[in-house]
Amino acid sequence: MVVENIVDGGILYGLIAVGAGLATGLAGIGAGVGEQGIGAAVVGVVAEEPGFLGKGLFLMLLPETLIIFGLAVSLILMFAWTPFA
Amino acid sequence: MPVLRLPKFGKPVKYAYITGRVRAMKTKLIPHEMYQRMLGMEIPEITRYLEETQYKEEIDLMAKDHSGAELVEYATFANLAKTYRKLLRVSIDEPEFLILEYLRRWDIWNIKTILRGKFYGASDEEIMKYLVPAGELDQEFLEGLAKKEKIEEVIQAFDGTDYYEALTQYDGQMLSSVENALDKLYYFRMERAVGGTLSVGGGLLLKYVRKEIDVKNLVTLFRMNKAGIEASVIQENLLPGGKLHEELSRMAGQSYNEFVRGLEGYPFWGAISDVVAEGGSVSRIEARLRAYLVRYAWAISNYHPLSILPVLGYIVSKDTEVSNIRKIVRGKEAGLSAELIEEQVVS
Repeated sequence: MVVENIVDGGILYGLIAVGAGLATGLAGIGAGVGEQGIGAAVVGVVAEEPGFLGKGLFLMLLPETLIIFGLAVSLILMFAWTPFA
Repeated sequence: MPVLRLPKFGKPVKYAYITGRVRAMKTKLIPHEMYQRMLGMEIPEITRYLEETQYKEEIDLMAKDHSGAELVEYATFANLAKTYRKLLRVSIDEPEFLILEYLRRWDIWNIKTILRGKFYGASDEEIMKYLVPAGELDQEFLEGLAKKEKIEEVIQAFDGTDYYEALTQYDGQMLSSVENALDKLYYFRMERAVGGTLSVGGGLLLKYVRKEIDVKNLVTLFRMNKAGIEASVIQENLLPGGKLHEELSRMAGQSYNEFVRGLEGYPFWGAISDVVAEGGSVSRIEARLRAYLVRYAWAISNYHPLSILPVLGYIVSKDTEVSNIRKIVRGKEAGLSAELIEEQVVS
């Protein structure tokens, strides 16, 4: 049965889907860990200097770019790359 | 007074908010080049300039009762206390604990101010104006102390606290022994509360404080060695706990030239070498050492950006700013020359 599943791609598709999920999910967690310190620091600075809000938000969003890499990997896994195409 | 112990390991992210905030607050400090310009101003001009800075609120509030140097002095003290209390208010957990531990020096300052005021027969109002309620003892308690008639009553109010033992050294004639005991108590308490824990933040605080003790001891040595005081008396006046305590203790009682030669090669030597070579006054050397300490605090905070060190750097910088303004204003009022005042200003 396992052999049949591999042949028709069942398990492999499942593993690809898990990999795609992990790529975005872990990237999101990593960005969150990075952002917690930046966010706290930005709030601290903005409390003193409200004019810093724009620059602060930009700095805070920098780790978000990491998620895009994760998302790109996920999309490639899900749609662009497939061993069964 | 129970001494709290740090509950757990410090995580750097706990410091993100407070360090972000103090770095923004640092930008509002008076720039060094402004002291030069202030030296050329008259006291009303200095007051007007300060009204454009963070001291505005206090100056506006006190302007109706005071004027001249007195106004600037009281306003800067009130602002200092407000700023330090704000640091305590906006921090939680480990940063709050460490900041309070460091700010206890203002409790010591206030106790000393009250004792000195009572000793020299100053009025309650006079004493209260010089109080900086930035530590654990609040304004109300300190005002209660200032209103007491005798020194003995003030000392009695501390019965059951850590301060009591140090205060009972008062012999009715001299305050210097009590003041020295209070200074030693401050550093002893800090070592007891912060040292011995596994906290990284506590270790960094002690690292700076050890340097501060060394600098204080160094100033004591400069003063006392220059005055030719006996080694044993000097050693009694040195604060324990500094990194260079042993070495500095050995320098006590040396002739001034021998003492100065022995300092070559130490990290602080670069900051004072030219003044020492010129035979500059101890107060000028003290100002240089103070500037070195401020630079040191910010320099080590660059290695540990998310730690107590940037906060300490700000606390020390703010304290230095207030003392610089006071020196300039008091110097102007006393009619001292700009050069003489400049020597005392830490920049």
